[in-house]
Amino acid sequence: MMRQYYYRFLLILAVIAACIYTIYPPEKKIRRGLDLQGGVHVVLEVGEAAGEESSLSDLSDRVLEVIRNRIDALGVTEPIIQKQGMRRIIVDLPGVQDPDKAIDIIGQTALLEFRLVSDDQEMLSAALQGNVPEGYQLLYSREKDDRGIYRETNPLLIKVEPELTGKYIADAYMGYDSSGFPDVNLVLSKEGGAVFENITASNVNRRLAIILDGVVKSAPTIRERIGGGKAQITGRFSVEEARTLAIVLRAGALPAKVEMIYREVVGPTLGRENITQGFRAAIYGAIIVVAFMVIYYAAFGLLADFALAFNILILLGVMATARGVLTLPGIAGIALTCGMAVDANILIFERIREEIKTGKSPKSSIDAGYKRAWSAIIDSNITTLIVGLILFFMGEGPVKGFGLTLSIGIVANLFTAVFVTKSVVDWVMVTQKVEKVRI
Amino acid sequence: MELIKNTHFDFLGKRKIAYVFSCAVIIWGMVVFGMRGKQNFGVDFIGGDMLNMEFSRGISAAEIRGYLKNLNIGYYSVQALGAEGREFIIKSSPGTSRKIVEYFEGMEAGTPEKSFTVKGESSVAPSMSISLRKKALYAFAAGILGILLYLTVRFEFRFAFGATLAIFHDMIFVVAVLALTKRQIDASVIAALLAVAGYSVNDTVVIFDRIRENIRKTRSNDYATVFNNSINEALSRTIFTALTTLFVIFLLFFMGGETLHAFSFSLLIGISIGTYSSIFIASALLVDWHRLSPHKFKV
Repeated sequence: MMRQYYYRFLLILAVIAACIYTIYPPEKKIRRGLDLQGGVHVVLEVGEAAGEESSLSDLSDRVLEVIRNRIDALGVTEPIIQKQGMRRIIVDLPGVQDPDKAIDIIGQTALLEFRLVSDDQEMLSAALQGNVPEGYQLLYSREKDDRGIYRETNPLLIKVEPELTGKYIADAYMGYDSSGFPDVNLVLSKEGGAVFENITASNVNRRLAIILDGVVKSAPTIRERIGGGKAQITGRFSVEEARTLAIVLRAGALPAKVEMIYREVVGPTLGRENITQGFRAAIYGAIIVVAFMVIYYAAFGLLADFALAFNILILLGVMATARGVLTLPGIAGIALTCGMAVDANILIFERIREEIKTGKSPKSSIDAGYKRAWSAIIDSNITTLIVGLILFFMGEGPVKGFGLTLSIGIVANLFTAVFVTKSVVDWVMVTQKVEKVRI
Repeated sequence: MELIKNTHFDFLGKRKIAYVFSCAVIIWGMVVFGMRGKQNFGVDFIGGDMLNMEFSRGISAAEIRGYLKNLNIGYYSVQALGAEGREFIIKSSPGTSRKIVEYFEGMEAGTPEKSFTVKGESSVAPSMSISLRKKALYAFAAGILGILLYLTVRFEFRFAFGATLAIFHDMIFVVAVLALTKRQIDASVIAALLAVAGYSVNDTVVIFDRIRENIRKTRSNDYATVFNNSINEALSRTIFTALTTLFVIFLLFFMGGETLHAFSFSLLIGISIGTYSSIFIASALLVDWHRLSPHKFKV
């Protein structure tokens, strides 16, 4: 008879030990979502390829590859880069220090082109009137005005056909030009170097525009033939901008137009605030629930509180083991689990009270209470679990985290609120020879 | 301690008052909802940008609106968070938040210290908002269908249908209150609504469970009496299970911060009203249904 209880308690102790082992230390073991540690979440949509015949899905794969290379250069600890459907790419950069830079790095097409500028002033003014000659187009550079808004300035009439593109870049790094401003130094591939030498040789005294994603970065005049396969991009960069540009040029251009259709940035301060506020609310909420149970159900309430603590412990243990992501709504889900975990015990305890009133012995009242409350407990837990699983599988980001904690909490609840409390109650009844139950 | 014992309230006798109350709130809310149009939804579902900015000096929402007027960015709204007049939520049309940030950066150009920080930002393109809307609808459909199926298997179709109607009632009620209190529906509110669906069923199941048991025990066909007795017998657990959950949600609502505000508000309204609807909608409708088309419950 007693042996049965030893097995039960052994199982309970083993679960507690396993949970504590997997959770400790919590800062390391429990992954936090973007909303709790700051970071960037971006969804990109890949557009049609420019003139290339390939399926959208393949194209997305190539875009993903380029973005992965760029992000590797950025040095984020646990980036998530994955394809969703045919043409969407999700990029998650938790804890990234400079979100603006990250977004810049992901979003830039980084199509670099060297294109010749027409020096015919008449043609330029005609083009500005709307008469753009065939084979040419008007392009601008972007500059910040005194109010800090970007404006398009310095129109140039530029050949449509590029002389050289970013494909031929072997390496790119930030440097400083002769007047001390940051610039980007390019090392061209062997093939590119040869092309570049030819262009510069046959176009001395013409202007060669360096165009990035359709915006003129600079348009220096070719003084002499340039050999050695080296070029610089100047153009009033800040150090950060030059560094970012070097990274994206090194990783290569995106093979298609990409639109950022969703962008979510959480700064580290907001992340910290979310954690403190979320946890404070959850802990105070839990304290009220715990206090209520003891006041209202005395010793049985204390037992329910123990089950509640155990429930949360299992919840966190499973989160740590499954590498689940804890989000702010996820903390709310844990708080909600606190509120709902005791529900099963309330159902049982209320039933026990009822059974006692019918004049049954303590032992049979308790057995009947557990037995009769079971159907309501399982039905209400399963309906909540259905919702939790749907939120986990269909939701994204923060909402997914809510579905996760809610679902784990509900399943753990069946173990802690029913099996664990019943084991303890039975054991007490057997060992203490209880004659009267106060509940 | 035992606060609720041996009650004999005639809950179902009062059901007409409840019907009127529910209909009044829902209809009024839906009229307001209809008038608000797109304003009912957050940026997730209609597309748009949202900035959370904190200024190091005191600044008023009106002052910010004044700056934004110069920018030519179409729609925008500015909402202050907290009382200090430092933190603001700025919502604007899709793809314009960068321009706003650049504008403020431009204003402080040349000054040595930063006068503001962007604490958070989101930008949702219209094409993304369409997929998010679809996803939310599928999630609703899946959730309600799942619950309906489960309850049909565990009870019988009439019970399942009554419970599902109560779920609908609760969710529409929350949406009505959101509209009436000028709040917006975003992805977190959808999660809250689904959680309300899952939770509201709990109370209903507790009562139905007791009804099932009492029909078995008494073999009575006087369902109005059986239902009323069952509601009274289950009353203390209906109230206390809801109460423990509401304790927690109250704290989330008051202390959880801005990010959880709409989420916890929806839960607060939804779970309170879910308890009410278990009695006055789910159970009451079954009694009325039986009156219109008599039916013997299989239990």
